[in-house]
Amino acid sequence: MNRMYGSMEPRVMDDDMLKVAVGEQGPRDEAGQLAKQEGILFKDVLSLQLDFQNILRIDNLWQFENLRKLQLDNNIIERIEGLENLIHLVWLDLSFNNIEAIEGLDTLVNLEDLSLFNNRISKIDSLDALVKLQVLSLGNNQIGNMMNLIYLRKFKCLRTLSLSGNPIAEAEDYKMFIYAYLPDLVYLDFRRIDEHAKELAEMKNQYSIDELKHRENLMQIRQEEEQARRMKLEEHKMAFVEHLDGSYLFDSMYVEDVEGSKLSYLPGVGELLEAYKDKFVIICLNIFEYGLKQQEKRKAELDTFNECIHEAIQENQEQGRLKIAKFEEEHLMNLNTIQEETDLLNIEKMIMECSEDITELFNVLMTLEMQLVEQLEEAINMFERNIIDLVGLFIENVQSLMAQCRDLENHHHEKLLEIAINTLEKTAKGELDEDLPEDVRALFVDKDTIVNAVGASHDIHLLKIDNREDELVTRANSWCTHLVDKIHRDEVMRNRKRVKEINQYIDHMQSELDNLECGDPID
Amino acid sequence: MRPAEVWKEEASITQEETPMTQEMLRDLEKKLSEMEIPTPADPLTFPKDTIDISMLPPSYKTNTPKEELMLQVADNFSRQYSHLCPDRMPLFLHPLNECEVPKFVSTTIRPTLMPYPDLYNWDSCAQFVSDFLTMVPLPDPLKPPDHLYSSTTVLKCQKGNCFDFSTLLCSMLIGSGYDAYCVNGYGSWDLCHMDLTREVCPLTVKPKEKVKKEEKPPPKKYAIKPPRDLTSRFEQEQEAKRQEEIRAHEEKLRREAEERLLEASKMKPDPLHGLRVHSWVLVLSGKREVPETFFIDALSGRSYSTQDDHFLGIESLWNHKNYWVNMQDCWNYCKDLVFDLGDPVRWEYMLLGTDKPYLSLTEEDDDDLNDEDDVEALGKEDEDKSFDMPPSWVQQIEITPEEFETRCPKGKKVLHYQRAQLEKWAPYLNPNGLVCRLTTYEDLECTKELEIKEWYQNRGDMLELRHINKSTGLIIDYFKPGHPQALRVHTYKSMEPEMDRVMEFYEVARVDGLKKREETPNTMTEYYQGRPDFLAYRHIIFGPRVKKLPGNSTDSNPRPPVKITERFYRNPEKPADDDVAERVFLTTEERIQLRYHCRSDHITANKREFLRRTEVDSKGNKIIMTPDMCISFEVEPMEHTKKLLYQYETMMQLKNEEKLSKHQAWESELEVLEILKLLQEEEEAHTLTISIYDTKRNEKSKEYREAMERVMHEEHLRQMETQLDYLAPFLAQLPPGEKLTRWQAMRLKEECLSDFKQRLIDKANLIQARFEKETQELQKKQQWYQENQVALSPEDEDLYLSYCSQAMFRIRILEQRLNRHKELAPLKYLALEEKLHKDPRLAELLKVFG
Repeated sequence: MNRMYGSMEPRVMDDDMLKVAVGEQGPRDEAGQLAKQEGILFKDVLSLQLDFQNILRIDNLWQFENLRKLQLDNNIIERIEGLENLIHLVWLDLSFNNIEAIEGLDTLVNLEDLSLFNNRISKIDSLDALVKLQVLSLGNNQIGNMMNLIYLRKFKCLRTLSLSGNPIAEAEDYKMFIYAYLPDLVYLDFRRIDEHAKELAEMKNQYSIDELKHRENLMQIRQEEEQARRMKLEEHKMAFVEHLDGSYLFDSMYVEDVEGSKLSYLPGVGELLEAYKDKFVIICLNIFEYGLKQQEKRKAELDTFNECIHEAIQENQEQGRLKIAKFEEEHLMNLNTIQEETDLLNIEKMIMECSEDITELFNVLMTLEMQLVEQLEEAINMFERNIIDLVGLFIENVQSLMAQCRDLENHHHEKLLEIAINTLEKTAKGELDEDLPEDVRALFVDKDTIVNAVGASHDIHLLKIDNREDELVTRANSWCTHLVDKIHRDEVMRNRKRVKEINQYIDHMQSELDNLECGDPID
Repeated sequence: MRPAEVWKEEASITQEETPMTQEMLRDLEKKLSEMEIPTPADPLTFPKDTIDISMLPPSYKTNTPKEELMLQVADNFSRQYSHLCPDRMPLFLHPLNECEVPKFVSTTIRPTLMPYPDLYNWDSCAQFVSDFLTMVPLPDPLKPPDHLYSSTTVLKCQKGNCFDFSTLLCSMLIGSGYDAYCVNGYGSWDLCHMDLTREVCPLTVKPKEKVKKEEKPPPKKYAIKPPRDLTSRFEQEQEAKRQEEIRAHEEKLRREAEERLLEASKMKPDPLHGLRVHSWVLVLSGKREVPETFFIDALSGRSYSTQDDHFLGIESLWNHKNYWVNMQDCWNYCKDLVFDLGDPVRWEYMLLGTDKPYLSLTEEDDDDLNDEDDVEALGKEDEDKSFDMPPSWVQQIEITPEEFETRCPKGKKVLHYQRAQLEKWAPYLNPNGLVCRLTTYEDLECTKELEIKEWYQNRGDMLELRHINKSTGLIIDYFKPGHPQALRVHTYKSMEPEMDRVMEFYEVARVDGLKKREETPNTMTEYYQGRPDFLAYRHIIFGPRVKKLPGNSTDSNPRPPVKITERFYRNPEKPADDDVAERVFLTTEERIQLRYHCRSDHITANKREFLRRTEVDSKGNKIIMTPDMCISFEVEPMEHTKKLLYQYETMMQLKNEEKLSKHQAWESELEVLEILKLLQEEEEAHTLTISIYDTKRNEKSKEYREAMERVMHEEHLRQMETQLDYLAPFLAQLPPGEKLTRWQAMRLKEECLSDFKQRLIDKANLIQARFEKETQELQKKQQWYQENQVALSPEDEDLYLSYCSQAMFRIRILEQRLNRHKELAPLKYLALEEKLHKDPRLAELLKVFG
């Protein structure tokens, strides 16, 4: 554990060292000769062994993208670092080093086997990303807190654990504790867990485990709820009507409205506000439901479109494949006859024919593709028109509903103004009730002030409504444009890919034929 | 009513209109005299003497008073009927039975439910009756028979006329709950003679394939429009017209041929059409969920609709409870008959009060009430209202399981259909398990065989059906699941290996998932399903056999495969462009071709070709891998595949797999040979499997059962022995009924023991005496031999020697027995004493002082 650096200097993981290691551990015999001849790229290496190298710092491993197994045991490493790129890593051995904390493993989601045996770790944590972890070796470390083990409950695949040589392993109920709290474990400290002992341990710790389970359950339920809520909101956002299924918009109108809240203290305004809110919320709900319905409609439209396009492409591809298969069959036969033919003139003629066949195939395939492009374009244009119409209709209807909101607001504003002026008159006459707060009373100094206050409140409300409407309209429009753009772009991409593919294939065929041509005279 | 009568009536009406001339009369007379009544060529009737009347129960020989009364009622009914309908045939009411006693027809029906679940439904019942009995034509085809035997007699003889057939079938059907009736009526020639030669064999009729109408989903909103059709409409139309013409021509030819065929198969008209008496069974709808009234012809066991042309009229019908006379016109055969037996206008019943099958609510009495009035009143007044049918005089109908299984007389039956012959055998009758053979002919005269279908049962190799096509020489064998190699269908021309053949297998039962294997003289194609390596197809082309080396001792010399093509299903775990779809091993050229699966968004697939050359470069080093040894086409070029190392590794892997494939090919060949050998062995040996539930045939279980019985018997004997009463003879000497005194008991015991002792001594003496006698004789013989030794011939000497050895053997045995007896005698004595001591009769008395 407290191995001194010894006589040897710490070594740096440089390119040379890695190359030597890769070369030594690469293929053998004939394959090895080939490998040497060609050189091995680091990214092709699947397994790397770097033990007893006196390495102090993990470095230069970023090129090993496809590494599955990495052995860095028996070095003097102090920190886990530089492994971020090795996302395919399944097996990581860091035993017999000087690591003090578990860290730097957050990207290794495929890791199944982790060995940190004989290090200086005192706390188990930072392993959350390792969802596939099956084997964890933490023996000969300095883990002292039994409660730290509860952290391991979240690894559902964990079957093998070793913790011997830690301070906690000396505790009397160490094994019982682990049996009870990690019931899925099969091996502990290199021994199979006895079923009987496991049952016993469960019985012993039943109370605390039940409590723990209950807490975990609660947590999970809460998480699920949160998830569901988020999903719902996402759905509403897709329909552009989030937060319209309640009084959110109405409430938001009054949040920044100082005057409005002041005015609500006036006699009669309370009931007025109440009625206003009810009506307003009803309209909001209308918008909300309408939005959801429209969203469904759009979705259905989009699904039908995608399905049809997919079918058309599939059918076209099927045709293309058939054509190619037929061509290949004939082509193969032709090539065979050419090879058997001895007369040069005949060969010449037949090669010409083959070449013509290839051109013919090219034409057929390209025609098919062009046909598809035309057909798809038509369908896409139709869809584009329909979806734009749909969105337009949606916006129009929402706008008319929003106009209703505005009318309500105007109406309310008038009423409020009336009350305010009445109150002002009353104040002027001195008949006012005594229970108005001081700052409200301050408004009733003259007519301008009160009219201004009511006006300001009204303006704020209208602004809020307008903002919400604008947001909805902009988002709906931009969604629509994006969708249409994407469909066009995808289609263009598809077309280019197909044309490239056809060209490539035809080129290959042609070059094969040419090879035959120039290969023949030599034979 | 007879259809002929109706014609007669019609004729008389026309005659009334046009007065009959002498000429016409003479003409008619001439015609009538020309008319010949064809008598059946082979007057097969019941051989009287085969029926042993003496064994029959008394109910067969006499009539009970109730039956007598019934006969009187019937006679009365018959008299009135003949009075009211003088132009109709006399009714078939009380024919004589096998004991020459008149019995009413309804009492001959004995409803019986058979104990076989197979005979619960009408179709299997009818088939059984038709299979079980042999048809005998009626003695007079124009009259109902004079005799109607009981079903038990008919079953015993396995012979009968149509009345016997329908009586038996009716008994069985009523027994299993059908509303069935025997019908006395008129049938066509075919029907009466059970001539099926103009019927199509039901086994040859192919089930009509249901034309599946694939509903085309309505085109979706964004479905693409088809590309514009640029071909000429006019040309298409012309082409269509031409096709139509050709089709019409073919159709015409076909129809003509059909008509010719129909003409040929039509028989000349029957002069006695409509006069031939026949009997069949009517099943009314209602009971046992029969949806519609129908006829069953008991002779052939086939069902017909009531509209069928073969049934020309009904005179009367009866079941076990009542008798009805048909009062409806049969001018249109049976097609217009209403089978509403509750309607007294249409059906005149004999007995009142027995349950009417129908109480029709919509009685249309008005239409012909007037003219039928007198008939309706017939026979009603003088009948006792409470009188019902006497019980059947026939004994319980019984069919033994053996008879049921054998079915046909002697277990074999041959039926002739139009261009087909059907032969049936009882199971286990043929040593090769053949139960049914259908031969189809090309022509009506049944001379040219077209194909043969043979059905087998209980075969050890699970062969179920063999289909031989005579014109192509193709034989197709169908197997049930359970063949050792899971063979399902085997199509072949000859059993020689390396010939054209197709074997299909139950692929789920095979480890290698083989579905089908096709062979031609030099190729073999295999189809697979559900393999973990996704292999779907393997095609092997074999080259000519390499000449055998003289030193090569292995007996099999497989043909070397020249080309192996293997195709694979898509492995969903690999990306499509890394998943091999087809690989071809050209073994002679050392070439391997690979074709990969096509990605879902591509139309071309990756290809790779490896050419293995072992060459040496200019410096003398072996070339391991060069870029020109692997030619590949990649739709989306990948980097790692360009590496020589990758190519080398792939090639090495493929080399190994080629070896495996070659081995597989060899194994497949071996398997074919093995299957053929097995099939041939089976064909020669004919082992039939016997179900463990078949107690009659299963030898093993029979032996076991017999052994068990024997053991039981022996056990019983032993028990008897142990219960042997030693005291009985001594107790018998004492006066009976008296209680034993102690003294008597003691004496009894003493006597018994002394008697036993005496017997033991006697036995010992007997053995001793015999022993001594043997010894003496031997000594004498030896003495005689000593004296005459010189004069003896070799034969005599042999005789003497054999005698000596036998005598010695006897002496030794006797000696052994004596010794054994000496050993056992005291033990036996003690055992008896002990037993007597414990005997309940003596124990009480002996215990006190003993």
